[in-house]
Amino acid sequence: MFNTSQVRQDFPLLTRPDSARQIYFDNACMSLKPSLVIDAMTEYYRDYPACVGRSSHHLGQLASQKVQAVRAKVAKFINASSEEEIIFTRNTTESINLVARSLGIKATDRILVSDKEHNSNLVPWQLLCQQTGATLEVLPSRADNTFDLDHFAQVITGARLVAIGHTANLDGVTVPISEIIRLAHSAGAQVLVDGAQAMLHQRLDVRALDLDYLAFSGHKMLGPTGTGVLYGKASLLNSLEPFLVGGDTVESVTYTDHKFLPVPERFEAGLQDYAGLLGLGAAIDYLSALDFSAIREHEYQLNHYLTSEVQKLAKFRLIGPEDPRQRSGVLSFYFDGVDAHQIALMLDNMSGIMIRSGQHCVHSWFHAHKLTGSARVSLAFYNTMEEAEQFIKTLTKINQIF
Amino acid sequence: MFCVAALVVFSILGIFSATHREYARRALDCVFRRVTLRPCNTGFSEQVRSQILARLLGRSVWAAKMFNKYFEVFAWIFMIAMVASTIWTAQGIYRYYLYGSCNGLNSTSFCAFDPSGTNNKVSSMQDSETCSLVNSTESDLTLAGLDLSLFPRQNESAKDKLVMIACYECDYSRAVYPDIAKLVAKYNLDFTFIHFPVKAGESETFMSAFGNCVYKSSPEKFWAWNEQMFAASKSDLDKPEFVATLASNLGLDGQALLSCALDQATLDQVRSQYSEAKTTKFYGTPTIFINGQAAVGPKPYRVYRAMVNKYLFF
Ligand SMILES: Cc1ncc(COP(=O)(O)O)c(C=O)c1O
Repeated sequence: MFNTSQVRQDFPLLTRPDSARQIYFDNACMSLKPSLVIDAMTEYYRDYPACVGRSSHHLGQLASQKVQAVRAKVAKFINASSEEEIIFTRNTTESINLVARSLGIKATDRILVSDKEHNSNLVPWQLLCQQTGATLEVLPSRADNTFDLDHFAQVITGARLVAIGHTANLDGVTVPISEIIRLAHSAGAQVLVDGAQAMLHQRLDVRALDLDYLAFSGHKMLGPTGTGVLYGKASLLNSLEPFLVGGDTVESVTYTDHKFLPVPERFEAGLQDYAGLLGLGAAIDYLSALDFSAIREHEYQLNHYLTSEVQKLAKFRLIGPEDPRQRSGVLSFYFDGVDAHQIALMLDNMSGIMIRSGQHCVHSWFHAHKLTGSARVSLAFYNTMEEAEQFIKTLTKINQIF
Repeated sequence: MFCVAALVVFSILGIFSATHREYARRALDCVFRRVTLRPCNTGFSEQVRSQILARLLGRSVWAAKMFNKYFEVFAWIFMIAMVASTIWTAQGIYRYYLYGSCNGLNSTSFCAFDPSGTNNKVSSMQDSETCSLVNSTESDLTLAGLDLSLFPRQNESAKDKLVMIACYECDYSRAVYPDIAKLVAKYNLDFTFIHFPVKAGESETFMSAFGNCVYKSSPEKFWAWNEQMFAASKSDLDKPEFVATLASNLGLDGQALLSCALDQATLDQVRSQYSEAKTTKFYGTPTIFINGQAAVGPKPYRVYRAMVNKYLFF
């Protein structure tokens, strides 16, 4: 059993006197932050608010060491071969754009994406293909919204890149990533994984998976906003074109030319969000101490309860497979003929339950399915069964007016 | 539609509370952008709607259901009612400014800006024969057939004509006389003054008679005496010596005027003046005709001014 009451103590928002009136079920959009993370950021501003990698004075050195240590933590957390494979960005979106803009895509290239990608893993490729003449192909999911590996095996041949979300924010479905990578590699394609929704729910081992690129955001894994990571195999990163350039990306510059630094600095232009990165380091410390198999079981218990209860409501429609084991901590649903925003707002107004409503930046899927949006519950390890019960109680009440 | 209605309501509530000011700001934003539901944004009307629904649901599922189902209809009804009441309010303010009553000139119906109805109060006339209130209404009022030559009058040749029926002892007449005197002077009006005591007792008739004698002996000094009669304290007016002293102070022969006032011819003249005044069908004092249009009750000065200037009426 995962001990929620213990971890809840670590989150200021969950220990406030009014915490019973605040049920946070929007973790796919943004996770809550433990005190540790907030403190790490404060510490930077208070104790060593200096430039990293430039100033040789003692504060500058201290700050540089701390940020370098975060890079090492991230590398260790995802089991990268070296710190050089970790590039700090602002978020998943920037990480994906970095790869898209730097791969040197040509008109003859084919890029594959799934039909459930977040706009951040779709629009950059659409634009790139429009500009280069490359082909973007959308992989259709099976009827239950799970990944169609058979179809994938048929079309992978000749592709240059597969850009795929590990866990979909739309419905929580996780793709069989190791098979996808294996098939892609055997067909000579590279794989970029959008890991934004994975990091809070499971540990990814980039080496075991033989991942080429992994993009994720700090703010969805207990870290601060404005922090993101791009992992890339060192050999691949070294072959990428520069993306954002300027201060900190170059070794030397004349009036007519410049020489770039090696990775990862080459890709980290300008002063970074150091406080944020230190917060990210603290988040990784926190996550590293958690038992992810217990977390998975805990989230399953909650989602199982939610799913079975919510299916009793007449107009309820689920997005994704029925089995909650396949949906991580996500319950995405709609009521026939009811605006999802209204459900979300009423949950909030009646019981302080915060969920996301709308198209969750997966407009393409909603357009294709002719739906206006869904209401989405997304759980984290600190959510409790009492919260889930309160949700069901409130939703059942709301259901009466439709 | 909802946004527009909400903007007005919340703007008004916002005068009193900061929370509502914030709602008003969002309603304004909503009106301008006409955005109700952007995929990554939540519409203002949805927010307010669900807040109301959440409250209703706590009390009655049926009420919440109805509200949810007919939300747009409610918003429209509300909007129409609001536009209509806004127009009425604006009209009321306009009328109050021009007529001294929200409901139009001489209307005694309730007006929020003049809750006690002071602007339209009169000292009501009693029929001397039956002792009942004179049964006449505003639409009966007329100057047609009134022989102005029977009464004190000044500046006859002026284009704009003012006829005032008032009584020295009546509070509303006393309240308004200074404004009328000011108006007459400022616009150089043809001014006819009709003294008509609503209670026609002996001392009241005496004042009419005395006034006639003052006017006969000096039309110019009459107006100064008249003004002093309205300014004097009410208890003094009953005393013939006091009234005579006012005239003496103006350089007139008070004693001669006193005996003139008791003269039968003067009293006859007063009687015929009263019956002539009644042809106007007036029902209380002060009644003031400006170019034939009647204003009953003590209006604010601006109302008389607007009448003289012939500002728009509706
Ligand atoms: C699957 C997925 N990919 C990408 C993103 C974009 O993340 P960010 O906004 O941090 O760049 C999100 C955010 O919701 C997401 O859920």
